Amino acid sequence: MVILTSLVVPAAVAVWLLTGGRTVSHRTANLLASVASVIALAAVVVAVIVRPTVDRAWVPSLGLRWQLAVDGISAPLLLLTAILGVGVVLHTLDRPPKGGTTAAFHACLLLVEFGALATFYARDAVLFFVAFELVLVPMWVLITRFGDAHDAAARADAGGRFVLYTAFGSTLMLVGILALVAKSGTSDLDVLAQGGGHGIPVGTQTLVAALLVAGLAVKVPVFPLHTWLPPAHTTAPTAGSVLLAAVLLKMGTYGLVRLPLASVPDGFAKVAPVLAVLGAIGIIWGGLACLVERDLKRLIAYSSVAHMGFVILGLSSGTRTGLQAALFANVAHGVISALLFVVVGGLKERWGSADLETARAALREVTPRLGFALIVGLAASLGLPGLAGFWGEFLSVYAAWSPAADRPEGLFRTLAVVAAMGTVLAAAYALRVARTVWAGERTAPPIEDSRDSEWDVIAVLVVAVLLLGIAPGPLLAMTGDAVTTIVGAAP
Amino acid sequence: MIATTVASASVAPAATSLVTFDWSVLAPVLVPALAAVAVLVLDVLAPRLVRLHATVGVLALVAGIALTVPGVLRTADDPLRTLCLPAPDGCLFEAGPLASALQLGALGSALVVLLLSWPGTDPRDHLRGGPAVLVSLVLAATAGAAGVAAAHDLGSWLVCLELATLPAIALVALRGDAPAGRGALALLTTSLVSFAMVALGAALWLVSTGEAVFSAAAATEALADPQRRVVLLLAALLLLAGLGFKLSLVPFHVWTPQAYAGATEPVAAFLAATSKVAALAALLVVVRPLVGAGAPVLFGIGMLAAVSMTLGNVLALVQDDPVRLLAWSTVAQAGWVVLPLSALNEQSAAASGGYLLAYVIATLVAFVVVHVVTSTPRLRGATDLGRTLTAYTGLLRAHPLLGGALGLALLSLAGLPPGVVGLIAKVVALRPVVGAGQWALALVAVLNAVIGVAVYLRWFAVLLRDPDEGPARPVIRSIPRPALAALVLSGAALVATSVMPQLLLGLLD
Repeated sequence: MVILTSLVVPAAVAVWLLTGGRTVSHRTANLLASVASVIALAAVVVAVIVRPTVDRAWVPSLGLRWQLAVDGISAPLLLLTAILGVGVVLHTLDRPPKGGTTAAFHACLLLVEFGALATFYARDAVLFFVAFELVLVPMWVLITRFGDAHDAAARADAGGRFVLYTAFGSTLMLVGILALVAKSGTSDLDVLAQGGGHGIPVGTQTLVAALLVAGLAVKVPVFPLHTWLPPAHTTAPTAGSVLLAAVLLKMGTYGLVRLPLASVPDGFAKVAPVLAVLGAIGIIWGGLACLVERDLKRLIAYSSVAHMGFVILGLSSGTRTGLQAALFANVAHGVISALLFVVVGGLKERWGSADLETARAALREVTPRLGFALIVGLAASLGLPGLAGFWGEFLSVYAAWSPAADRPEGLFRTLAVVAAMGTVLAAAYALRVARTVWAGERTAPPIEDSRDSEWDVIAVLVVAVLLLGIAPGPLLAMTGDAVTTIVGAAP
Repeated sequence: MIATTVASASVAPAATSLVTFDWSVLAPVLVPALAAVAVLVLDVLAPRLVRLHATVGVLALVAGIALTVPGVLRTADDPLRTLCLPAPDGCLFEAGPLASALQLGALGSALVVLLLSWPGTDPRDHLRGGPAVLVSLVLAATAGAAGVAAAHDLGSWLVCLELATLPAIALVALRGDAPAGRGALALLTTSLVSFAMVALGAALWLVSTGEAVFSAAAATEALADPQRRVVLLLAALLLLAGLGFKLSLVPFHVWTPQAYAGATEPVAAFLAATSKVAALAALLVVVRPLVGAGAPVLFGIGMLAAVSMTLGNVLALVQDDPVRLLAWSTVAQAGWVVLPLSALNEQSAAASGGYLLAYVIATLVAFVVVHVVTSTPRLRGATDLGRTLTAYTGLLRAHPLLGGALGLALLSLAGLPPGVVGLIAKVVALRPVVGAGQWALALVAVLNAVIGVAVYLRWFAVLLRDPDEGPARPVIRSIPRPALAALVLSGAALVATSVMPQLLLGLLD
């Protein structure tokens, strides 16, 4: 019941906003969307505590069921999605969207939330795919209609890239899912995870795992399939960037854990070294790109590629620690990137562009709140102990240093060293941004500091970054049991 | 021989004659056929009462739709049968769930077409022969489409197939101008070649199996004999090629954009929906006995599917006339329709039918909107942009009903939610292919799914623009009631099947 509430309420309000309520004022639309997302958040919190299940037939001809549940792996991501769902709606309160009707903008935000929640709830492989596709069109509308107002061609290009890359990835994933279902005879993700690929030849397992990994890697994104991400982030409106970085990318890593890692572990073991190498390349590549990138929003996007590299490395190591690290880093990156995109998006609005070469007033001097939030975000992003980013990345590198028995140890140790060097790059680019944007004495041109709804959202995210950094225990405990069922109780 | 026939006839259920006869099973074919004649008679008696002609047509189709229901409710193992001969020939007319669902698709799409071409609603309307001819031709072709789905013997199969095709040529020619003539000529030439191939294929089928019935037992027997096997496979390839023309599969597709662009939009919708149902229904009748026929046919269907999808999608990507875009999209979707048949297992016939019906619903909605946008009078001062994509600028906001319906149809064709029915159809079509392990074909399908997304989102992006961005606001004053009925009918089907895809897939099994 609570699960259905958290899905139906945002979807119903979004549909109403697109049909009957097309002409409502910005305030009304925002109020409605806020109520819907708060109800969804409350329902998700209850669902995470009570852990109910839903199981209803939908398309019996395909064996497709509305099979929804919550477990330790999906719970943190559900909470993250629901909290940010409220956050992006609140953030829009003082910023009437440009480029289309406000009702459509809010409907798109709610539909993305609906699709992401459905993806994390889904316990049927085909339903997972359908939910995975739900977010595509609303996100595409957010980018092409409501994105950067300066350049229509860039919007169309970024939106097109986003939708075509991800549609390719998800259709490839569909082929993998259909092959998996054909070989194992069930599309129930829990049964698949318990079966662990028994009875499927290793060659077939490898093929299925390769298809699933390749498809999901587009969404994560893993180097070299990441080229859709920077333009999409650069042009998307702030709320869109936040959802993209904090929610949509997580759907990719979540899918990697649920599908190849849990259902065809032997096949995944064959693919894992390649994936780990690509993850490590992503860490270095993203870091290097951040060192030379001139556009601040694009820089944060590249840093996402680097952070997702750590998640991938942890996932590939095949150990309990690695998986825990990946899930932790996943959530941490969600919070940190949401914070950074809110700050950077706000700065871009105030400056008119996000070019780092233009001389501007130092944030330290003119906007202490934004400056503080930026520094917290950057520090967390470079993995400073005591902040959210530290645990995930530290544990990922540790897991790569001592991978599972069936992984090539030499390779993984090399990758651990490479990833450690990546954190040095992260420090370098974080300092570069802090030096050009935050430090200095200039006070002209003056810009307005953060206040009202924007500051509320920022404050919550800063607190979340601190909490996750100081007390990682609850989150690690939440994922712990579910991780044990996937990789066993080994360290 | 005669003695044995008579002997077995005496134990057949209807002992009064050699052939059993059940009116109610044949009714979905007979009702539109009789109505076609009735409309012509009415035209002679009362030529002025054009609305009455159209009403008779609509009522006949509604009755036909109602009469397909008993067949849909049957299971696949126990179809409604009639025209049963004494064993071993079996029944000549079998309406199982798949055949009845295809009949339903044919009759329903024809109903939408008739509503769209309601007399007096299109100001550009100057069809030759008047509305009665159009109604009668649509009904005749629909009767053929409904018949070919259930026909089981070569004779009635061929007759029904041509009955479904020939009126379509006349429908294209009805407009009477130069493009219509070119389109009709292209369609006529193609149909003749296609008929020659189908007739030759049917003859070879008869030679190889020794029976004038499409029966699995006879086909299996023929496949076991190496000499007859070759003849049977040649027959299958010829039939496939002949039907490829009608389904617009590459390389037999060339007539499609010409005929669509030359015809009026309702007739183009008829070609895109009802004719395709007839063609696929005919193909399924041929393919089902061939389950287990082996590599050459499999390879043939797979190649046709891959090439059709790719070429259709790539050319649809550069069209500016929405009708031509939908024509090339038909070519691409035809590839998707036959894709599951390349696996030739139990799932594939139903998968193919399911994909086709999903496509038919979505493409009908698109054609209804295109017809309304190009034909209804505009507010004074608005430039008539005719058939260009620019005419749709900002349609979602300028006219939410039309824009929403077209948007949902395009997303369904692209296979993206909220057009869930299109997405489920892609899952249904890919499942047999992946199950059979045809990875190369699956990869081609994946690439085409992506190009398809680009094709339809290109048009969708135009709908989504600000109405003021366009060179002229496409303000549509009012939608004629019959067209509105067509829109509501097809749109409701699209929404209902998107929310509950089982409504569509449940018809087939």
